[in-house]
Amino acid sequence: MGSFFDAVSSQAFMQNAIIGGILASVACGVVGSYVVVKRIGYLAGGIAHSVLGGMGIAYYLGRPPIEGALVAALVFAVILGWVSLRMQQQEDTVIGALWAGGMAVGILFISQTPGYNVDLMSFLFGNILMISSDDLFWIASLDILILLIVFLFYKQFLAVSFDEEFARLRGIPVERFYLLFLTLVALTVVILIQIVGLILVIALLTLPAAVSSQYVRSLNLMMLLATFLGILFTTGGLALSYQPDLPPGPTIILVAGTFYLVSLILNRFWKRA
Amino acid sequence: MDSVIKIRDLHFSYGGPKILENIEIDIQRNEFIGMVGPNGSGKTTLLKIIMGVLTPDAGTVEVLGKPPFQSVKEIGYMPQLTPFLRDFPINVEETVLMGRLGKTSSIGFFNKADKRAAEKAMDDVEILDLRKRAIGSLSGGQLQRVLIARALTCEPEIMILDEPTANVDMKVEKDIFDMLKQLNEKITIIVVTHDIGFISQYIHRVACINRTLICHPTSELTGETIENMYGSHVHMVHHHHEDEKNHG
Repeated sequence: MGSFFDAVSSQAFMQNAIIGGILASVACGVVGSYVVVKRIGYLAGGIAHSVLGGMGIAYYLGRPPIEGALVAALVFAVILGWVSLRMQQQEDTVIGALWAGGMAVGILFISQTPGYNVDLMSFLFGNILMISSDDLFWIASLDILILLIVFLFYKQFLAVSFDEEFARLRGIPVERFYLLFLTLVALTVVILIQIVGLILVIALLTLPAAVSSQYVRSLNLMMLLATFLGILFTTGGLALSYQPDLPPGPTIILVAGTFYLVSLILNRFWKRA
Repeated sequence: MDSVIKIRDLHFSYGGPKILENIEIDIQRNEFIGMVGPNGSGKTTLLKIIMGVLTPDAGTVEVLGKPPFQSVKEIGYMPQLTPFLRDFPINVEETVLMGRLGKTSSIGFFNKADKRAAEKAMDDVEILDLRKRAIGSLSGGQLQRVLIARALTCEPEIMILDEPTANVDMKVEKDIFDMLKQLNEKITIIVVTHDIGFISQYIHRVACINRTLICHPTSELTGETIENMYGSHVHMVHHHHEDEKNHG
């Protein structure tokens, strides 16, 4: 563990990784809390995975994959949102199809790209150790955008996630806010892809908020606690993975998952006792 | 007379058979209307039309002199079932504040005026001491009061309550209707219920719905036989429709 702290104090890439984890935790604490209380983890998973299509196309065209991810995340957020609003009967089937279809497109484009395909792994599992100062700037900007939108429309987001029917009767354009919310999920997904990769995004998006929901009884506190837990999981995962030279993404997710399960079990005992 | 809801020759279907047919009613300011009818008779559909959620196939609906979608913000609505999750992380005050939507600024947080309105509404239904409690920890009767307070915070001219006492015992039911009676001094109230015998002492008129609508003033009915008469009358309306179906 000592060498981890040495690395943090001396190596720029470790400092970037820590800061990246903190910035990502803000987005996943705030947006993840809505995802958990609104119970749309599957929809968010669909957005996260289908993003590979955009990354693959960008990679094929020689553009930075993250640009493709951003475009694809926003496009799929709107498509999936439309599906969940208009095709409620087949919602899960359609999400599943788009989820797998998006990934298939990505893999095909990546396979047709000449050259060395090492990047595929970092799309899928992320690499927090490769985060550059430019990346940090982008993550921070997306954080600010997300926080700004959540502050401006706090009441509407709360109303739509709590009681859609009542919100509609109070004159709130429920569908528009639902789609706006899904675009926030898309932005968060793009941030998190750089930390843990797109396969593991959904865990980091939902686990801190899910743990947090076991302890607090207000959405604001839930977001705050989830953000702190996100920082704990990313930093903890980084520290644990450093010495044995494990990939940090999966380590972070295992830390989060273990924490969640232990917390769940303790809570059950607590309530029974 | 000052009518707050005016419906003329209204017809509605969800694309199939007629749900509502030839509905006509005038509801006066400060009236207390009980709405009865069997399940699937079109009560909730009619309420949704009054609140502008559904558009009728034919006929006119005016609420406070305007088309329903323009006046829906002046209506306080209490739903029949709680459509939200009881474990949602929200307390009583925050829930009641939701009623301010449409009346408050569209950006930012709730302001002082909203909080005052919520406080008054919670006071009116006597739940001010529960304001910081999580909604998941409330009893059925307390939750009904929270939902009534939420409907009240928009300072409505009309209140629509869909079976407000469906899941509470007789004592709580009486408390809630006593409270509604007081609110009725300022607000027009429409309440959907199955318990016609009980509420006849509170309401001015009863609207019997079963695809069509027939209205009866409670003053035409004498105290002791009210329960029987309403019971048999609903029955009669029901048979009337059965006959029509057979003819058609």
